[in-house]
Amino acid sequence: MRAFFDMGGYAAFVWPAYGVTLAVVLLNILSARRALERSRAEARRRLQMQGEAS
Amino acid sequence: MNWTWFHRLASPPHVYTLAARLTPWFAWPAALCIAAGLWGGLVLAPPDYQQGDGFRIIYVHAPSAWMSLMVYVTMASAAAIGLIWRMKVAHAVAASCAPIGASFTFAALVTGALWGQPMWGTYWEWDPRLTSELVLLFLYLGYIGLRAGIEDPQRADRASAVLAVVGVVNVPIIHYSVTWWNSLHQAPSVMRLGKPQMPAAMLVPLLLMLLGFTLLFIALLLTRLRGEVLARERAASWIREVVRT
Repeated sequence: MRAFFDMGGYAAFVWPAYGVTLAVVLLNILSARRALERSRAEARRRLQMQGEAS
Repeated sequence: MNWTWFHRLASPPHVYTLAARLTPWFAWPAALCIAAGLWGGLVLAPPDYQQGDGFRIIYVHAPSAWMSLMVYVTMASAAAIGLIWRMKVAHAVAASCAPIGASFTFAALVTGALWGQPMWGTYWEWDPRLTSELVLLFLYLGYIGLRAGIEDPQRADRASAVLAVVGVVNVPIIHYSVTWWNSLHQAPSVMRLGKPQMPAAMLVPLLLMLLGFTLLFIALLLTRLRGEVLARERAASWIREVVRT
């Protein structure tokens, strides 16, 4: 297990590389879902305003 | 030939519901491929005879770099279709690609730097491959900035589409930079004619990661596309159907 985390002495390069990539993947998932939710909320708000106007 | 499928792709309500239905079919296989690729790359693959365990950075670096180019080509193609056929959905696809592409270009540059330091002795060099990849990041950021800077959505679509299409010249430059010029960066070992230069235990996890990232891109694109399509349709009655909850 120790050897695995040590990565043959390259731990200081391998793990940050995996960490940055994982962070980019997770942020992409979160921000794509947030963007969709924002658009849906915005569309709902517009519909509500139209409903009140008519 | 029957072109109805193509015309249906121009219809926002059809695209919205189709994208919603398709997303899980890409997202879950993406998660499986990436999980298997990580296990194979970090645990099962043997250390490289020259780079030891340091070579394992390839399993995050190569897929990120692949994404940076594949997403750009998708974005530029969608932008061209939007310009030629004045198709709103195509512009929405292009706009959805930009943040995804920019973030993976950033990941490719950072993981490349972290691989460069132990192997070449430097995080950064103004090398043809590295510099052209940095230009790609600026193209994405320029595209995003240009869109954000233009108030009128149709003008923003057209202006940013022109930038995306012109910028595509950088893609072959990045790809061939390692063969055209003297580069620190190695030549392609998988995306080449003939057999890949890697044993199966190293290659299979890499192919799984490349496939997983590609599927992830499609899932992300479909999700963002729904948001973009909704934002572009101001008054259409179909919106009432899809945002009801």
